[in-house]
Amino acid sequence: MRLAYWMYQGTAHYGIGRIANSLRNIHAVFHAPQGDAYINAVFAMLERTPAFPPLTTSVVSGRDLAQGNLRLPETLQAIDQQLHPELIVVAASCSTTLLQENLEVAAESADISAEVLIYDVNPYRVQEVAAADGLFTELVRRYATATPLTTQPSVNILGPASMGLHARHDLTALRRMLQTLGVQVNVVAPWGATLDDLRRLPAAWLNIAPYRELGQQAAQVLHEQFGTPSLCDAPIGVQPTLAWLHQLVEQLNSVGSKQNNPSEVMLPPLTAFSLDGLSTPSSVPWFVRTADMESFSRRRMFVFGDATHVAGMTRFLHDELGTQICGAGTYLPDQADWLREQLAEYVDDLLVTEEFQVTAQRIEELQPDLVCGTQMERHTARKLGLQCMVIAPPMHIENHPLSYRPFLGFDGADVIADQIYMTSTLGMEQHLIDMFGDAGLEVPPMPETEPVLPLVDPVLPAVPLTEESPTPAAPVKGAPLADDEPVEWQPDAEAMMKKIPFFVRNKARRNIEQYARAQGYRVITTQIVLEAREHVGG
Amino acid sequence: MARKPEIIREHNLHHSFCGLVSVGWLYQKIKDSFFLILGTHTCAHLLQNTLGVMIFARPRFAVALMEEADLSSAQPALEAQIEAIRREHHPSVIFLLSSCTPEVIKVEFEGLAQSLSRPDLPVLFVPASGLDYTFSQAEDSVLQALLPLCPVSERDTPEIVFLGSVNDTIADDFAHEAACLGLPVAGFLPSNHMRDLPAIGPNTIIAPLHPYLARVANLLQQERGATVLSSLFPLGPDGTRMFWEDLARAFGQTIDLADREAAAWERLKTHTSLLKGKRIFLASDTLMEIPLARFLQACGCEIVECSTPYVNRRFHAHELSRLEEVRLVEQPDLHHQLERIDEIKPDLVIANIMSTNPLIGHGVLAKWSMEVAFMPIHGWAGSHTLISMFTLPMQRHAQLNARGTTVMDPLWTTGLMPSQQEHSA
Repeated sequence: MRLAYWMYQGTAHYGIGRIANSLRNIHAVFHAPQGDAYINAVFAMLERTPAFPPLTTSVVSGRDLAQGNLRLPETLQAIDQQLHPELIVVAASCSTTLLQENLEVAAESADISAEVLIYDVNPYRVQEVAAADGLFTELVRRYATATPLTTQPSVNILGPASMGLHARHDLTALRRMLQTLGVQVNVVAPWGATLDDLRRLPAAWLNIAPYRELGQQAAQVLHEQFGTPSLCDAPIGVQPTLAWLHQLVEQLNSVGSKQNNPSEVMLPPLTAFSLDGLSTPSSVPWFVRTADMESFSRRRMFVFGDATHVAGMTRFLHDELGTQICGAGTYLPDQADWLREQLAEYVDDLLVTEEFQVTAQRIEELQPDLVCGTQMERHTARKLGLQCMVIAPPMHIENHPLSYRPFLGFDGADVIADQIYMTSTLGMEQHLIDMFGDAGLEVPPMPETEPVLPLVDPVLPAVPLTEESPTPAAPVKGAPLADDEPVEWQPDAEAMMKKIPFFVRNKARRNIEQYARAQGYRVITTQIVLEAREHVGG
Repeated sequence: MARKPEIIREHNLHHSFCGLVSVGWLYQKIKDSFFLILGTHTCAHLLQNTLGVMIFARPRFAVALMEEADLSSAQPALEAQIEAIRREHHPSVIFLLSSCTPEVIKVEFEGLAQSLSRPDLPVLFVPASGLDYTFSQAEDSVLQALLPLCPVSERDTPEIVFLGSVNDTIADDFAHEAACLGLPVAGFLPSNHMRDLPAIGPNTIIAPLHPYLARVANLLQQERGATVLSSLFPLGPDGTRMFWEDLARAFGQTIDLADREAAAWERLKTHTSLLKGKRIFLASDTLMEIPLARFLQACGCEIVECSTPYVNRRFHAHELSRLEEVRLVEQPDLHHQLERIDEIKPDLVIANIMSTNPLIGHGVLAKWSMEVAFMPIHGWAGSHTLISMFTLPMQRHAQLNARGTTVMDPLWTTGLMPSQQEHSA
């Protein structure tokens, strides 16, 4: 048993809720104690749903358990009569799953007109992502029906869902590109799809499933059962989007040629993909070549999150913004192998952990210039005085922006580049500050409810300059010190540090201390500061 | 007393939280405490999402996470976790909260808490699982757990212990008010720190500040022979006046606070003029619904319905006597509530956190009740905050309706509900 303060993934029932809150005219019923209804609040408050999420907790109380009372049939009847869903998905909770009740029998006894699907997952083994993807795949398997292909080239977009990171924005970005290509969207699922939409999924020529976490298994099922090809790359960044477009055109035309369809999909001039239809589809390629962006080339980035966004962001940061990748990782163990393979050229030791403390530790060790992570890494970065940009769920109320902020496509590339640029300290500004000191820019660190992790022990007194030793003592060198051994700073060495711009001071301080330890110095004098600068820079 | 109001009981198809959510305010109230929940991923996800903002404040609560392997051993080993908490947080007390899964596998919590307790760091069992408790009720469980640590009062003259967690401003206000009236105060349960727990004995007069503490009030009476004040809860000028008058009466004093009440209402005039004649539907789940309905009625509102998870006829007796004409519903059914809201078209619905946004999207003016649990709304000083909770949404929406866009037009929510997205085939 471990102490958990915070989890990356949500629960299985939250995953089921995400699918139910995406599809039209279905309802999820949780056979669970009343508190499990908190997920309704998550949808209604974070996603600000203007309607009731179709999720009901069929309450199991202590008294029900004592009396052997099962309310599920009654709940199913009420939902059936009141809301007339086509399908009700029933799931047990982590506690009721242990009761070993036969929900199948209970549901049958309700005798209702809606179809009932008992979605049997073990909440102790399955978390949000696997539960959501599993349920969606099961529904696709259950409803997709052999249908003739549409006459015109068409695609399904599989994967956008309630509480997906900027899912609505990504969907818009995909729709915009498909519209520009003149390709029809047959069905979007789960977002906004009915069961009829799931039935007619096989009418599409191609399935687009950009997210590793949701939709690719369903695309696989459609491929196996109906032979529909799929495009599973995520168009994150300019070059990946171009490659994605070429791939899309090629795959559609390959289906078309088999159909003896004369109308080929043609890639229009790329300016057609811009917002005004007249300009470059993305400003990133020019932006990154401009002079001040050179300062980004030495910046070290750490990327952590789900699979799709970590893969896409790492490549984008390295290949298209020209930065250095100092590490990457994921909280999805199931995706670790895939991600490791995807990022083989970018990182040697992919971090795989579900414990945020481990990620925090890695960030502290690496001291990256920018962290791309979840809300928790944002918190960690703030504690360490580092910059952070949120690129992966879990969703926070701040991750539901009103304006168009996709990750995918050319539009997404511009949005991400802007976000990175504005999160980071600027290039030219930094040069000036590096040259002339902090130009009065020094501001006290953000007030924190707890102190920023001290980089030197603040209770350690500075060595007083006594009359007997008017000049700092010569550095005393010994055997190399261990990483956690304290070193002392002499006041004039400390004063020297004040001249280093405040936002790089902590890092410089660490470097100097590291150098001092390696050299076996216990007391840091001005001389050691200079020596260290010479050796390690900064 | 007047005739018993009829209480309609529905079948509880309603969204609500479990007792664990009360950790959100209790860990802040009891400053040297730590709240350890023996629970699952679900409990952790619940806390993260409902109290999520507080991850930034190094919370003094955590979940001892039960994973599949932990289900087989009925008595979980928590020594290491307790030790880690002691090392990192140095609390004076650890509350060990139960949740649904350990309740189902029948963890013997009393024994577990006892075995983990040390003289310098008591571990107190708090029943809080969603199988039995709605969210504010777990405060009752926490206070019951604290009772054995309260010294036994040997005093032979009466003194007051205020019951319920309130913030320092409100606590000072009540202490000051009592002093002005010449009523001796022994303290507050809970206190900010464990060392300040009040002494309680046969001469203690328990003055309940919250309407959801019936069980601990009962226990104080049974175990310590204390007297529990039966009055209105000190919410709003009407409730506050009766509360103090009845409290003084328990000390054999007769006081008349009519002028004070009138002056308080006078200060709230701009608010009451807005509320007068407004039809209010209480559909929330904080267990404060009954006193709030009484207060709103005193403000001149018509209470078209008051639904709440549970009614305690004895503990709420005075409050209920003021709501004779009001439709009271226990364990409501959300769907039926919505039908009645559609039919009655109330001016304002006080709703829980799950329902507020969807109700507003539905064209109903709704206010979320969560704030009630977190705002200083008690006593004379709290009346303004209390009444503002209801007038603010009205004023805000009126201001927006004047020249802004009205949300009633479905245009402005088109495409925002994932499951209602129109499909462009």
